[in-house]
Amino acid sequence: MNSASTSTRTYTRTQTAVFLTEVVMGAIADILADLRIDLTTLYRDWKQDEAAIAAWIGEGSLEQVVLECHQPGGTVSPVLEFPVSYRSSGAADPKFTADRAALARYRAKVDRVPAGTVFRLLCTFSRTPSPQPGWERATRASTSGLRSLRFGTLASAPHASLSMRYLHQ
Amino acid sequence: MQRYRQIGAAPRRSASETWSVITALIADTLQRSPVIAADDVAAIMDLAAPAGRMLIAAGHLDRHAVVVAADPVDLSITTVSGAAALALEENLAPVPGGATATNWMVYLPAPEPLTDAVRRAVAGSAHLRAGGPALRTGKAAALTAAVGPVDLEALARREADR
Repeated sequence: MNSASTSTRTYTRTQTAVFLTEVVMGAIADILADLRIDLTTLYRDWKQDEAAIAAWIGEGSLEQVVLECHQPGGTVSPVLEFPVSYRSSGAADPKFTADRAALARYRAKVDRVPAGTVFRLLCTFSRTPSPQPGWERATRASTSGLRSLRFGTLASAPHASLSMRYLHQ
Repeated sequence: MQRYRQIGAAPRRSASETWSVITALIADTLQRSPVIAADDVAAIMDLAAPAGRMLIAAGHLDRHAVVVAADPVDLSITTVSGAAALALEENLAPVPGGATATNWMVYLPAPEPLTDAVRRAVAGSAHLRAGGPALRTGKAAALTAAVGPVDLEALARREADR
């Protein structure tokens, strides 16, 4: 008797969350290293930040991750925004893709910063997020007067995608 | 003998979890030696964890191997990301040869832009180095040289066929 079979893989929202979290964390590490900004707090807080961002993407509350560069003179620039776009169905794009080559090209366009510049990592939300250890309410620095450049999609997963916006003086 | 292992990263695991799996593989391999303790290996790998997590999350370990040199153990470890990470059949068993190892060194790749971060993470450790071993040849050199495309899946299949 002849037989045939087919199989489909079901991807979970958690897998989407883990994948996009690693892409954004990896992008932030590469950008900060490229700008020669001290990575000590990124090292120190990695596990709690990784867990929090994954939880928020998983529950669909995370609007965007924001990386602010605070220069010694008080200027906040550049600012990198990583917006998350959620899909209603996981079947629309059943792939996990990350455009790391594009990120490398984008990094080359990011303004250099003076020595002593420090970074701040923030998240904004489209709805009330679950509480996560190490994270507390904070206010974003003003971005008025900064020019905005859209760098396009960095990563895509079955339930959501991640893009990047660059704001600078 | 050169051995190759691939570990599933995101979306299968977070970067932190992936580094823990790599640490366990190395510790399990080397603890077979009567003179190397698993706790010592784990403690050294903890020192390298900040750099390791960044290398994994940014996809660098997909292309550049962590190399364990502990004669006769010669092990290259890379990660697999994306859908392939979910389909990957991992071999997490200790690599043969650990029982007779005495000295050991873990080489972390140090690609741009994380070169300085990796160097700082390994500075001062007698068991960690940034970059590949100096005298490697053949396939492992291809894995660690960071130049040109390397078919890591083909290498892993060849290893699995042995």
